Order: sequence, then C-alpha cells, then structure tokens
Amino acid sequence: MAESKEIIVSLKNVSKVFQDVKVIDNISLDILRGETFVIMGCSGSGKSTLLRLMTGILKPDEGSIFINGKDIAKLSEDELGEVKKSFGMSFQYSALLDSLTVEENISLPLVEHTKLAPDIIRIIVKMKLSLVGLRGFEDYYPSQISGGMRKRVGLARAIALDPDIVFYDEPTSGLDPVVGGVTDKLIKDLSQKLLITSVVVTHDMQSVFHIADKVAMVHKGKLVETGTTEQIKISANPYIQQFINGRPEGPIDFFKEDIAIEEILGL
Amino acid sequence: MISKTGQIVIGLFKEAASVLNLLFDILYWIIIGPFKGKTARRQSIFHQMVFCGVNSSVIVFFVTLFTGIVLAMQSAYQLEKMGAVIYVASLVAVSLCRELSPVLTGLVVAGRIGSAFAAELGTMKVSEQIEALDTMAINPVRFLAVPRFLALLFMLPCLTILGNIAGILGGFIVGTGSLHINPDLYLQTTFKYLAIKDIYTGFTKSFVFAMIIALIGCHEGLNTKGGAEGVGRATTRSVVISFILIILADCVLTALFYFTKV
Repeated sequence: MAESKEIIVSLKNVSKVFQDVKVIDNISLDILRGETFVIMGCSGSGKSTLLRLMTGILKPDEGSIFINGKDIAKLSEDELGEVKKSFGMSFQYSALLDSLTVEENISLPLVEHTKLAPDIIRIIVKMKLSLVGLRGFEDYYPSQISGGMRKRVGLARAIALDPDIVFYDEPTSGLDPVVGGVTDKLIKDLSQKLLITSVVVTHDMQSVFHIADKVAMVHKGKLVETGTTEQIKISANPYIQQFINGRPEGPIDFFKEDIAIEEILGL
Repeated sequence: MISKTGQIVIGLFKEAASVLNLLFDILYWIIIGPFKGKTARRQSIFHQMVFCGVNSSVIVFFVTLFTGIVLAMQSAYQLEKMGAVIYVASLVAVSLCRELSPVLTGLVVAGRIGSAFAAELGTMKVSEQIEALDTMAINPVRFLAVPRFLALLFMLPCLTILGNIAGILGGFIVGTGSLHINPDLYLQTTFKYLAIKDIYTGFTKSFVFAMIIALIGCHEGLNTKGGAEGVGRATTRSVVISFILIILADCVLTALFYFTKV
C-alpha cells in the first residue's frame, strides 16, 4: 500500500497524564503516507486519547508529535490551524452540528477555509456525498437520518478539504454488521482512491483485519506491539492473542484481582 | 473550615478568571478577527438576534406591562393620600426607565436566553461537536460565542426600550382608566419628568446585563462536563450566576449613577 516510505505521522516518546494517572505512557510510533494504520485496544486503554493527541485536541505532557514533519505541540494556534486543515476526523458519534443540514455540515470547512463560490461548494458537497453513498440527503438535518448515515456524513465532512490524513474514532461501533462492513469498505476505498492515510482507532477485530495495513495494540497506555496485519495475526504476544480472540482469561485483566468477590460480599 | 473557605474563594477566582478569559477571547475575535479575515458568520448573528430579541419580545412586553400596572396602582395608593395622583405618571416612567425595565428584561432574558445558550453549547460540548469544530480549525469561541454575544448586546437594549414603552403603557392604562387622569396630562407629566439621562442610564445597564448573560451562558455551556446531567447543571448555573451578577451589577451601577449625579 505504502509505495513511498515517507513518514506522515510520528510520535516520539509521548506521555499524557490525567489526574496523576499516566493514560499514555512513552509511546513512539511512525505512520507512513498512504497506509491504513489501526490502533486497537480495550476500552479505556488510552487509544482514543492517543487519537486526540495526534489531532492536537490534547497536548502531550512529554514527547513530541509530528504531522507532516511539524511538531504540533510547539506550533502557534494559527500554525496548528494550518496543520489541522491537512487532516480530517470522523468521530465516534459523528459529531455533526445539529443546527445545520447535512449540506451545511459538509460545506462548513469549505466555507470557513476557502474562498470558493457557493455554487462550487455545492458541487463539492454533492461529490463528497456521492463518495459516501448519500447523494440526495443534502437538506436533511442530522436528527432526521440514521446513526450509520450520520457517520457517513461525518466522513464526508472529514474529507471535504481533501485531507492527507483521516483519523477515525471507532468508525464501526454502534453499527449493524452490514453497515459496519459498508463503512469498512468505504474507509478502504477512500484510502485507495484518494490516497488518504487513515488512522483508525477501534476494538472491532473484524474491521481491523478488513482494513488494516498495519496494526498497533495499546494496553494501559503502553504500546504492546506494532506490525502488519499478518504479523499481528500470528504474534505470540499473549496480550495480542487474548485480544484478537476475545478470550476472558489471559494477561489483560478484566477483573481487578485485588478485590476478591468475598471482600465485596463482606465475607 | 478555613481550608474549605479558602477552596471556595480560590474556586471563585478561578471561575472569574475563566469568564474574563472568555471575554478577552470574544473581544479578540470581534476586534482583531476581521483583520485576519476571520469574522463571525453574519447569518448566525441574525439568527441569534431573532432568537434572542424578536422571540423574547412578547414575554418582555407582558412582564413590563404588568409591572407598569402594578407600579401605578401601588404608587397611587400612597400618592392619593397627598392629593398628588398625577405624579403616578412620572414615578412610573422614571422608575421603569432607570431601574425596573432594564433589570426585569435582563432577568427574563437571562432565564430564557442565557439558559438556552448554556444548554445548547453544553449539549454540543458533550456530544463532541465543539471538539469537531476544533479539529476543523474552526475556533469555537468565534463560531459560537461571538454571534451570541453580539446579538444579545444589540437586542437587549432594544428589548429594554420595548419594556420602557410597555411599562409606561401599563401606567397609562391605570392612570387614565382607574385614576381618571386626563390622557394628555398623563403623557405630558410622563415626558416632563423623564430626562434623557434616565433613558441612557437604563441603556447602560442593559448593555452590561447583556454582556453578563451572554458571557455566563456561553461560559457555562463551553465548560460543560459529563453527559445530560452536566448539561442540566450548566443550565441551572448559568441562570443562577446571571441572576446574581445582574442584581449585583445593577446595585453597583445605580450607586455609580447616584453618586456621580448622572
């Protein structure tokens, strides 16, 4: 997938602390231009925080994050704004503005950041909606369409400015398997047709193996392993094996061992 | 006990600093923004002006109309004893324009619009919409707070004028209907004692109240934490804080106008 080996997103020893808890602990990874990079992990493992660090919503407490070679933590607000225009983000719950129609939502970045004429913007919106298979829904409000459609509109908005990178936060969560499959195909199509680098955060294993070129697993804020999809499938790492097979027993402790059931019952 | 009081004081200072920070942010986008080619959306300002102003006019009209009626009756009750019923007209007009109309309009709008700002922005915050704006390199303060601030700054004084008129009308109804004052005489007395400074002191108050309502509503909304419960808390807080600050600001401004003989 990645013919050119240029690094587009790079994390160097990144850590983030929330209320004395190290949510991200010394993570370093490189994402190459054009590849689909999946970050997987259990709920609360820190993978969404990692995504928020990469998009500049959060600032790292330690380490540096480079996007297109620029250290985003050190940029001024205007410079960071320029970097943000080079990527799009698709949110877990789509995060469309309720008060705007589908068309207005998708045209928002275009209206704000370009000097294009309204007619041209309308055409671009139609093109983006066609890409996600929702042409004809321009005048609907987000509350009038289904969750899956909202996610696709969110995706159309994310690619409105023809970004280099699209970040996806749980793109298939809350969707039925068919719509989930459609979304996976869409992510794959977008990265192949538009040569977009995709960074996907998910815990949906089916989705991981469908779309990923490379996979990284995060557990308790630490990077467990990074590798190609094939390498991950056959990895001997017990964390990875437990996660991809969804086994309740293994090193990923679901129950807190220090609180025994007897203690809870007061025995 | 002391440490708890200290914590509350520190919390208050932090909150005040955060509100002031938002005010500077808003002023930055209003004054510096246009030079950087980044202005608030005109469409959004008009939309908010309709929402804040036009849609609040009925409630403001009735609240001040009935206040005017009550004020006329209460003052007539005392003035009748001195045979000075005619002064009901000036008493109603001056007290409404200087004090009651701006304050009542401010309180009504704080309840109606300040809470709506907090609830709307709070819901946007908890449903990641504000974060989405941020990732699209659209400043949430410029996009959301500035139109609301400008709209209210323009519409609250307009609503106050409406309140003045409705209140005087209320007094007029009582004065001419029940106290049998000649309508011409009533209006003459109203305008004879109503100085232009009475109007603009009320106006100054409504400007300050508009800033308080918009700032607190937007601040609470943009700083909402948690889900639906957080939105509820932000809405309540916005109304409570706005009410307290409006009365406090009214007290300070009235003292200022009184001692400077304005």
